[in-house]
Amino acid sequence: MSSERFLRNLVLSLVGIVGASALAGAQTATQTVTFAVNAINQIAFVGAPSLTITTAVAGSQPTSATVGTSTWAVTTNQSNAKISASIPLAMAAGLTLSVNLTAPATATSAGLQPLTTTAVDLVTVITKLAVGSLSATYQLDATAAAGVVTSATKVVTYTISGGT
Amino acid sequence: MLTAVLPVGLGRTAAAQVTTISPSGNPAAMTISTAVAGLQPTGVSNSATTYSTANVKSSQPQKITARLSANMPAGVTLMASLAVNASATSVGAVSLDVTARNVVINITANQTSQTITYQLSALVSAGVIASQTRTVTFTIANYP
Repeated sequence: MSSERFLRNLVLSLVGIVGASALAGAQTATQTVTFAVNAINQIAFVGAPSLTITTAVAGSQPTSATVGTSTWAVTTNQSNAKISASIPLAMAAGLTLSVNLTAPATATSAGLQPLTTTAVDLVTVITKLAVGSLSATYQLDATAAAGVVTSATKVVTYTISGGT
Repeated sequence: MLTAVLPVGLGRTAAAQVTTISPSGNPAAMTISTAVAGLQPTGVSNSATTYSTANVKSSQPQKITARLSANMPAGVTLMASLAVNASATSVGAVSLDVTARNVVINITANQTSQTITYQLSALVSAGVIASQTRTVTFTIANYP
């Protein structure tokens, strides 16, 4: 090997070493992150409506009382969740308490449904939604046979059942 | 003899200047499991791990980037925020993906046991996600 070629190779080698050192300056380290998202089904209601029947059209049953000031909200990350409702004790004879939940987009409302001690479906096909300020409308009906009923309270229990 | 000594000497000098980053370990599993009705699921965070750097010289500022081994599932976001001392600038919470993204810049002195904060969030559209892992690769390199 000639001295000129030897020197050229030496210079190239030095450049290569310096270059490799610069690249080696980028050092890495790792962490492992583990994550999951569980099934989430949450509902909430706002409002404590009061309904009083006070009048009637002569010849007809007492006029129903309706209150639509309550709202409800839902969050679910599942498909086909549903909301049902029940009351702990049956209404007095001749009285019917019903509720109608406005359904969020893509879900289905069953419309006005009477409440009993057996859970009744109110909204179905709730799929991966987070929506608030939905209307909840209560209606109280009475027959004349019910007579005068003093003020009473019913706790309505709403349940969201997760889908899949 | 001169030709044999020179490369070795340069190699040792360069190796001594390599900066390093060392996380303290892996964070505990993060699980999203609740929400406020009407809102998206409640995110979770973990600030239990730290990182330290070594061999940072003020004459050659450094930066730290972070990237994931694979993108997060649709609707799920993993963010990382690295705390710093007065000798560096944190970019703040950075959404992580497979692209290396700056998380700390202009590091002019070593960072010691600085907190790494992970934030996991999910949209309802993400659905239910069984446990998965991602490797977060931190790289320290010359800045800028």
